[in-house]
Amino acid sequence: MTLSNLAIRTLLGSALSVCAVAASADEFRWASTTDPQTMDPHAVNSAPVLSFLNNIYEGLVRRGQDMSIEPSLATSWEPLADEDGWRFNLREGVTFQDGAAFTAEDVLFSYQRASDETADVRSWFAPVTEVRVVGDYTVDFITKAPNPLFPDSIANFMILDKDWAESNDAALAARDAENFATMNVNGTGPFTLASRDPGVRTTLVPNTAWWDDVQHNVTEAVFTPIGNSATGLAALLSGEIDFIQPIPLQDVAQVEGRDGFKVLEGEETRVIMFGFGHEHDTLLYSSDVTDANPFTDPRVRLAAAHAIDIASIDRVLFRGKIEAASQLVPADISGFSEANQGRADFNQERARELLAEAGYPDGFSFGLKCPNDRYINDEALCRAAASMFAAVGLNAELSTGPVRDYWPQLREDDFDMYLLGWSPGTFDMEHPVRFLLHSQDNEKKLGSWNFGNYSNARVDELLPQIQQEIDPAARQAMLDEVVAITQEEVAYIPLYTQPLIWAAKDNVDLTQRADNFFMLRWVTVN
Amino acid sequence: MVYFILKRLVQSVFVMLAVAFLAFSLFRFVGDPITQMTGVETSVADQERLREELGLNDAFLLQFGRFTADILQGDFGYSYRTRQPVAQMIADRIPATLELGLVALLISLIVGIPAGVYTALKPRGFATQAILMTTLVGVSIPTFVIGIMLIFIFGVQLGWLPTFGRGGTVQIGGWESSLFTIEGWRALLLPALTLGVYQLTLTMRLVRAEMMEVMRTDYIRFAMARGVPMKKLHYKHALANTMVPVITIIGLQFGGVIAFSIVTESVFQWPGMGLLFLESIRFVDIPVMGVYLVVIAFFFVLVNLLVDLLYVAIDPRLRVRDVQ
Repeated sequence: MTLSNLAIRTLLGSALSVCAVAASADEFRWASTTDPQTMDPHAVNSAPVLSFLNNIYEGLVRRGQDMSIEPSLATSWEPLADEDGWRFNLREGVTFQDGAAFTAEDVLFSYQRASDETADVRSWFAPVTEVRVVGDYTVDFITKAPNPLFPDSIANFMILDKDWAESNDAALAARDAENFATMNVNGTGPFTLASRDPGVRTTLVPNTAWWDDVQHNVTEAVFTPIGNSATGLAALLSGEIDFIQPIPLQDVAQVEGRDGFKVLEGEETRVIMFGFGHEHDTLLYSSDVTDANPFTDPRVRLAAAHAIDIASIDRVLFRGKIEAASQLVPADISGFSEANQGRADFNQERARELLAEAGYPDGFSFGLKCPNDRYINDEALCRAAASMFAAVGLNAELSTGPVRDYWPQLREDDFDMYLLGWSPGTFDMEHPVRFLLHSQDNEKKLGSWNFGNYSNARVDELLPQIQQEIDPAARQAMLDEVVAITQEEVAYIPLYTQPLIWAAKDNVDLTQRADNFFMLRWVTVN
Repeated sequence: MVYFILKRLVQSVFVMLAVAFLAFSLFRFVGDPITQMTGVETSVADQERLREELGLNDAFLLQFGRFTADILQGDFGYSYRTRQPVAQMIADRIPATLELGLVALLISLIVGIPAGVYTALKPRGFATQAILMTTLVGVSIPTFVIGIMLIFIFGVQLGWLPTFGRGGTVQIGGWESSLFTIEGWRALLLPALTLGVYQLTLTMRLVRAEMMEVMRTDYIRFAMARGVPMKKLHYKHALANTMVPVITIIGLQFGGVIAFSIVTESVFQWPGMGLLFLESIRFVDIPVMGVYLVVIAFFFVLVNLLVDLLYVAIDPRLRVRDVQ
């Protein structure tokens, strides 16, 4: 660089940096890929919305830094003595951000609103038959059957003020058109909305009347959605934002290589797996086997499991950041079956033997469907898996597509084998049993993501018992049985737990929760 | 003249209808809005009910008819994704896109026309060769690569300019403008440059070619022989005559700049219509996609009309014909 060049650079640099607005020390700016679609906590059951609104609204219970359930607007809860259900004792002296007092009426109202047809979160209340206000600060939730996990399942059920919602014509969640609650908030939580420009910028400020001890030191928090990951990384490295979630795996080295920035890594609760068309009579995408579906034979499914070399996938595609999975939930989820921790090892010899036993010594070809914008490295994973399958004679015809197109294809049974990731919303093993392992049953709303319709009478029989069992040991025994059955039958091939990768400036302390929720109340800017 | 404008506006309605029809026939292949609107725990029955209520089970022609009828009555519908009125969502994003497009156009004209004249008058100069080479490189690199490069040089390495967003904006009668603050201009510079590079190259090469052509014509030679000063010759006589085709092409290109600012907007997280469209595709937000495409079609028609009117202003011969 010549001297004149340097001079110009310095001059220009100082001239421009004078114009830059200095951010105050405690103003916190963060970015994520998706803007919360709405500020209404009952309208959409999606992670970006629930994660964001947990800073503003609160539920009866909440999740701590380690995902454990702790008191929030309810100080305690216990099962009802003479009928099935739970009693919640509410916190006194809590006010909404507009000053109104929080009482049991607000809980009843929020239940009615959240369980209405207009609300997307109504599935949480499927077990509930009635909600009774017992006193100003006591509420009973009556359930159809004993439901030991009910308090855990409503951690994201957020409470609205009845009068506020009704007087602003927002008594029901906005479904077809927006209403007052789409753009305005009135929660009890640690932060409140200062301004909102959807898709561009949302500003939160602390709620000075919050009931709990303040642990953060944020005076203003500005959220910007940045869809393009390269732009997001540039925004972090240039110092315009303090924190971003998530960053792509390939950018980890970039961030770690720079002074003043850090990468936060954890395990998400999402298990990535392959699923099969269990009830298909024939393969849809095969060039050699057209009159049968070899995947109905458990030996063939096991052969496919033995073909996967998870260590190589970890090393090559994920830079050593994934945890191999043995079942549909990771080890730190309640209900995880410790008795069934083993997974089919990488054994090509065994895979070929199994295929020969099943009558396919030369293998066969089939169609493998994968999304390309849903999970980390999903397309690359499927390419790697396809070549691993091919090594034992399973020739996968891979087709990939965006997720908006992917679910409809799976719903229409348009696959031989498919990729799926599952994060248990209740953080309990019962969740994947209900959605992925129970036979499809639209009436009972069970097995709705069991695309291949894996069906086992014993599993179907055990699910309601698991849901109602109060005794932890008996419950775990039944979950162990389900896991053992589904491993034995290779209902799915569990692959690994997806990593969670965030990046921040060095001076920011925050908590990375396994559900990928980002809570401002644990942020300190030093 | 009034008749001419009216005729074009009536034509534009048919263009927009055709675009809406094509767009609608493609939407079925974009994906399923319902799975994007609802959470994983939503039951199949609830999904079906929503699908029915939104009329997604109806025949294609019925859905299209409803969409057009609503728009003709001024009802642009509500977004599936945010539940906001589509008209307001798009109106909020128009200023960002228009300002970006106009500044990009301005950059391409201010740099492109003088550079075109220079390279035409000194075709063998070293500077000419250098300019032609660099612009060729600039036009060969995809827009998003140029954008990312600019961001990493000026935003990350040098730290001079912001890497995303619009910076400081000012509300002027409902129009959110970034043209009145220094912060706004700093944020505008890189995306406008990214978007304008292609236009700039095109303008320059067009001006150069036309100028060289004109310089060879008889009237310029006669003027030269008569001793008209070179400056007057170049800029009054020659340049004015090169501008007619240049304006046509640039005008037509401007519609494209507005429509295809999508890539630039995505790279710079520029909150314009293009970015809104991209988000809408991801969520299969059919109402927003439909209205966006119709609005873009309208822009194209409008720009074409303006170009035609500009002709008349620049070229006296057209006026005479109009009178006849």
